[in-house]
Amino acid sequence: MPRPEPKTITFTIDGREVQAPENTILVDAAKLGDVEIPVFCYEPKLGAPVGACRMCLVEIEGIPKLQTGCSTPVKDGMVVHTQTDRVREAQAAVVEFLLINHPLDCPVCDKGGECPLQDISFGWGGGRSRFIEPKRHFQKPLELSPLIAIDRERCILCYRCVRFSQEVSEDYQLILHERGAQTFVGTFDGHPYVAPFSGNIIELCPVGALTSRPYRFRARPWDIEGSGSVCGLCPSQCNVTFTVRDDRVLRVLARQNDGVDDGWLCDRGRFAYQAIHVDERITEPLLRDGGTLRPVSWERALDEAASLLKKAGSRVGALAGGGTTNEEGFLLQRLVREVAGSEHLDAAGIDPVDAWTLLDPALQASMQDVEYAHTVLVVGTEPVDDMPILDLRIRKGVRRNRVKLAVATPRPSSLDANAALSLRYAPGGEGAFVAALTAAVYGGDIEAPAAAADASVDEIRALAELLRTGGDGAPGDVVIVWGTSMLAADGGAVAPALLKLASGLNLSGREGGGLLAVPAAANERGLLEAGFAPGMAPGFGETDGEGEAHAVAGIAAALRAGDLTALYLLHDDPLVTRADTHGWDHALEKTTAVIAHSQFLTAGLLEHANVVFPAESYAEKEGTITHPDGRVQRLRPAIGRQGSVRAEWWVLTELAKRLGTDFGVLTGAMASQQLFAAVPFYNGLTLDTIGGKGVRWPADAALAAAYPAAPEARRDAVYAEAAEPNGALRLGTFRSIWVGADVEASPALKFLAPRQMVEMAPSDAQRLGVRHGEKVLVGGDGASVEAIVALRDAALPGSVFLQTGITTNAANVLDGPLVEIRKA
Amino acid sequence: MSWTPGDDAIHVVRPPAPGAAGGTYRVFAETLRGLKTTFARVAEGVHTIQYPEQKVPVYPRFRGRHRLHKFEDTGLEKCVGCSLCAAACPADCIRVVAAENTPEHRVSAGERYAAVYEINLSRCIFCGYCEVACPFDAITMGNDYEMSDYQRSDLIFTKEMLLAEPVERTPLRAEGE
Repeated sequence: MPRPEPKTITFTIDGREVQAPENTILVDAAKLGDVEIPVFCYEPKLGAPVGACRMCLVEIEGIPKLQTGCSTPVKDGMVVHTQTDRVREAQAAVVEFLLINHPLDCPVCDKGGECPLQDISFGWGGGRSRFIEPKRHFQKPLELSPLIAIDRERCILCYRCVRFSQEVSEDYQLILHERGAQTFVGTFDGHPYVAPFSGNIIELCPVGALTSRPYRFRARPWDIEGSGSVCGLCPSQCNVTFTVRDDRVLRVLARQNDGVDDGWLCDRGRFAYQAIHVDERITEPLLRDGGTLRPVSWERALDEAASLLKKAGSRVGALAGGGTTNEEGFLLQRLVREVAGSEHLDAAGIDPVDAWTLLDPALQASMQDVEYAHTVLVVGTEPVDDMPILDLRIRKGVRRNRVKLAVATPRPSSLDANAALSLRYAPGGEGAFVAALTAAVYGGDIEAPAAAADASVDEIRALAELLRTGGDGAPGDVVIVWGTSMLAADGGAVAPALLKLASGLNLSGREGGGLLAVPAAANERGLLEAGFAPGMAPGFGETDGEGEAHAVAGIAAALRAGDLTALYLLHDDPLVTRADTHGWDHALEKTTAVIAHSQFLTAGLLEHANVVFPAESYAEKEGTITHPDGRVQRLRPAIGRQGSVRAEWWVLTELAKRLGTDFGVLTGAMASQQLFAAVPFYNGLTLDTIGGKGVRWPADAALAAAYPAAPEARRDAVYAEAAEPNGALRLGTFRSIWVGADVEASPALKFLAPRQMVEMAPSDAQRLGVRHGEKVLVGGDGASVEAIVALRDAALPGSVFLQTGITTNAANVLDGPLVEIRKA
Repeated sequence: MSWTPGDDAIHVVRPPAPGAAGGTYRVFAETLRGLKTTFARVAEGVHTIQYPEQKVPVYPRFRGRHRLHKFEDTGLEKCVGCSLCAAACPADCIRVVAAENTPEHRVSAGERYAAVYEINLSRCIFCGYCEVACPFDAITMGNDYEMSDYQRSDLIFTKEMLLAEPVERTPLRAEGE
């Protein structure tokens, strides 16, 4: 749906003439005239108002009864009074009424001091209660989930949490039990409320009924300081406020930025801060000495790392993980390219030329476009796992703006229920599927690629029809949300086909439509733009390097062959994050020098690292990261670095100095400045202009014009055919939202750390004679993992799905396109 | 050098110049009158208080070192760790870190208790706002005023020290004294 055109009207409130956009809700419009109307249940983020709490009663001339300000849109010439005796009396009565069952245990309550009920009782209440009967009692405090405590006595029944569960995250778990005065919030049968976004209800609750268990009794509002930054745990890059007390992060709150997160946070972003302050974290440099890693001084570690790098000469490879900032990526590529003279560095594992063509600002859709487009196509990604906040944004578009959603994924998607059309294709058939879809939009042979992707031709035709006509003959803005893991799977074919599809749908240069990439790692886009990609200088420029530049798989092969002897790992551990664990294990075994920056001693580092530098957590970092829609955002340090951790830019600069090159970086801001100067489309950005909300460079005409013209898309791309099962099963992989060292290290989130499940279609299970919940061995050639069978009705027969990245039994060890299932 | 205004400006009243009798009276009689007080006190006896062996009793509303209290019947701490005293404190000398009571380990009557309760007496200005802020009468200003120490760090009083009876009690002035 197109964004509504705002029309300005004039209305009068408390004798003041105020201009406001037409149909703004009165409570919001009143703020434009500096009038505050108290509210409890009204929350614009939750969608349509319900008028449940009656706190916002106002008098409107011409209407005999008092009206709720939260559900009345302003009209031209409306005359509103908020300070008359009638209104005051009503407000005081509502406060008295709301406090009838409220225990007033503010000294014990965690909300005390930041509680809207306190504020409104103080500001608008009568200050006296006539209620002498006993209040209603519940057992308390109860665990609504291991993350949330519920105190039903404090609840004022504003329905915010229930509305969130029913209408925003759509997990439909929270409900209201009983009726009238007996009403209380809960889940069916008292099951724990465990959902990817459950923590948001803590922030929504206007009283202390829902409180965070990890934050329980940790601090009071006057003990703490808020520190705005950006969450660096996944590509959503939600804006957050860290709550800091005594130099420790105690809580993470959402910081609303409509261009990024819409004011929501996932539970990982909300609770994984705990990993900052755990004992497992590395807080001093470690050096391998006699087989084990021992703590050493910074001088010694730096000297050792420098001499290892010197010995390796140009035979150095480098990998960067998702938590790397643009500046760190930029400095490490300088270290590898300028100092060592090597070209073998990679982060995303995708062809940078493909990325270059697909990240073109003319094709770029923004996060808000997803909400207002006519049609959204989700292809090759599961938003709730890969970029959780995008999932909420898509649901919001479908629910409130009637966006038509189409989902095309190998694995059954959580968005299927909201989709106008959802279809499956075989894992490994990404290129073939996009080629078939392109053919269906453009005209051409659909049958062959559809067969190669094991997808239904009719469904692909229907999808093409939906994209072309918007379903009702009114073609409009189309946003294609695509996973960059498709490029890694079948890069050669996916990128040109996607580009052709985009031009077939007229997405280039179109406002309100375009492509939106869902990266596999948090700052994948920023690292590509900062030049941390094989054979691609900062800002997609030419590099001076000669010869072939190895990508991830190439680096592993070169290490195994002995062509590379040193590996620099910036927040990465190939044994955990990359495919082909056995190959990497072998490669790391052969590597003479492994230098790593990490917060935790993961499997690969524990076994193979020679020097481990302690890495900063995202709450300690300074620098910029780039959102998948091109928004450059700024990380600001919220707390001091723990232990003897030092900034990564400092470590990289010191190493370069020891190898004879001065980067000229004395502060974190100087690294940012160098980056902005080196990347043409970041030119002119400063940390000040980026500020708290970030700058979307593709939306800035001058910056977008500086984007170097991408080369012509390959026309000779040939898609790969998805493997024919022939009795075996195709292997598809996915990464759960709960995968990561931070989740494993956070005491509160440990219970969510996923176990290996093999998702399969019921027909396959029947054929193999396995049941839901049964333990099986899933194996390819040589390796196998133990998993529990999970049947998915919507799964494509002939394919199974396993998780990658988990601590035990990760699917990373399997490399074949086909696997077999045996009973364990 | 005295300045004499003109007669037309101000009417100046001057005392009579002291004569011999007046002068003598001034020198001796007034002095003796003062000495009367002195000798009267001498007759009363010694008034020096031999501090620290002897102590001045303080008034009931005297604001001395803080005390934390327990319920006499249950032995539970009155403090629930709400931190309102820390919020009220103008000298920012109170630090409270709360924790949750469990059925096995119950410290206070409410859900939460103060795991850490520290008052930095080297910063405290003894204004008594903490006592006013406390919703549970858990903290009161006591009578003790002897708090000097050799180490600044010893002036940070912990919860245990504040809950304990003072080692030496300061005498309290009796009613009407």
